[in-house]
Amino acid sequence: MTIEFIKPGAHRPALSSKPLISRDCGPEGCEVDWLASRRHETDLGIDAFTNFALERGWGDGLPLVPPTDARVRAFLAKNDRYPDEVIAHLPPTQVECTVEKIAINAVMAGAPPESLELLIAAIASIADSDFELYGVNATTAPVYPAFVVNGPIRAALDIPYGYGCLGGVATKVAAMGRAIRLLMRNVAGQVPGVSSQTTFGSPGRVAGLITGEWEERSPWAPLAERRGVKGNAVTSFGTMGTMNIIDTTSHKARDFLEMIGKSLAYPGCNAFSGAVPFSELMVAINPICAEIVGREMPDIEDVQECLWKFASVDASQLQALHRGQLEQQERVRANGRVYATPEPKDILVFVCGGPGGLHATGFHSFGTSLAQTRPIATAIDASQLRTGT
Amino acid sequence: MAIGMVLDPTTTRADDIASRGPDAGLLTGKRVGFRLDRMWRAWDWISELWADKLRAAGAEVTFWRSGGRSGEEGERMEQSYQEFLATIDVAVVGLANCGSCTGWAVRDAITAANTGLPTTAIATKNFETFAHEIATRGGRSGLRVHVLPYPLNERVRPEVLAIGEAHFTSVLQTMGAQLLAKDHAA
Repeated sequence: MTIEFIKPGAHRPALSSKPLISRDCGPEGCEVDWLASRRHETDLGIDAFTNFALERGWGDGLPLVPPTDARVRAFLAKNDRYPDEVIAHLPPTQVECTVEKIAINAVMAGAPPESLELLIAAIASIADSDFELYGVNATTAPVYPAFVVNGPIRAALDIPYGYGCLGGVATKVAAMGRAIRLLMRNVAGQVPGVSSQTTFGSPGRVAGLITGEWEERSPWAPLAERRGVKGNAVTSFGTMGTMNIIDTTSHKARDFLEMIGKSLAYPGCNAFSGAVPFSELMVAINPICAEIVGREMPDIEDVQECLWKFASVDASQLQALHRGQLEQQERVRANGRVYATPEPKDILVFVCGGPGGLHATGFHSFGTSLAQTRPIATAIDASQLRTGT
Repeated sequence: MAIGMVLDPTTTRADDIASRGPDAGLLTGKRVGFRLDRMWRAWDWISELWADKLRAAGAEVTFWRSGGRSGEEGERMEQSYQEFLATIDVAVVGLANCGSCTGWAVRDAITAANTGLPTTAIATKNFETFAHEIATRGGRSGLRVHVLPYPLNERVRPEVLAIGEAHFTSVLQTMGAQLLAKDHAA
């Protein structure tokens, strides 16, 4: 056995979005008449419906907006998709996740209609077999998909990338994240103690985690662009949580990266599990630190290489049984170290966070789940097509 | 109080195979394939113990070990598993002893069962209900699941082997298998 390098599966889809033409339904908008979901009669008050939904296993404990025909139709009418379009098949049931189901859950979560294309791209990304949603939704681990958004859509959807971008900013991003979590529950069937064995769960399993990248403050190309998608895009990463790394002392690039790299490499993280032949890492660097690092390292590959060298452990420091498993996988290199990822490229780096600096955030992956990047579609105006403008 | 209609946000699988699938029958001369993983040494020990007993009874035993299930490695795994299934007559698939590994073990057991092979998944007690749940969601609620005690992997080798010894007869029952022709006839 030799070190297993991460290579994407041959099935990878094209990294460009499907052409989407706006539905030209005149000034009244489109009327959607073919919603196929079963109807349930209930009290439409928020409290009553929330209780009704909880009894049926649809809810997450927070108040829910009743997904009436009128609300779901209004949501769809502001978009350019038909409700019966199948976006993905979600494990373990491999049932169809249609635009209609996404819209219903988005309405329940309070997500705005304008977020539909982001939600669709996010769901499509985690349905890729390389994301390993099969394991992500079943595991004892606390993993949940985190999403990094690139492109002008960050502003259009008010997705934060500065202060508090990983949680706590008062925008509708929390409702968008919650919509994805409700889809995991209601379509993928992830229910703790039933179809998910998560030991502790995570706050990220309630409202998810969606952040923008502060592209304008990044010395490097946007994350999605480096992964093959320019403009509006979403990158999904199955994360065990967020790990804060504080550094109030360093002032040089390599010092910052040494602190981040060494902090990422703790023995109990997914990267050093004897059951995991390979894994990825993701790091969010704040804009102040990024500026300092970028001055010395304008090539992101140099940043990744530096992080990678420090994100390793001395195998002799590991407990014998753990070391034995890693030795069996030939993950102990000639220098006696075990590296968190097979190669430097497997550490994803992006820039976000408040300009107060001082902190970085580490994201440890789950199992062999691999990050996925997808374009976010924008409809071409049908009237422009007609007039050729 | 305003009464009205809401749309159902859930999707459920409609199809199901409630049958347990074919019995393994008389194992003499048959090829029994064990699906292993990289996580549970206890399952390695028990499967080796059972393999020795099956060989002594005239069965041929082979092993297949699951690895990374994503990327190019995952596709290689998928292909090699299909090739493995084509070489065996009976599948014994383990170990359902955590969340994701139960998910993958049951998924691989369903794949085996869907090819028509007599198939038994092996789970530990803590993950028994979960294994049945995942099997149902995977469209095979009747999947055979044999249950070993929990915790298992935390025990030392002699204890684990004793458990394997104690469960050999009962796992054969779950598989619908016999070692001797007279038992088969009975």
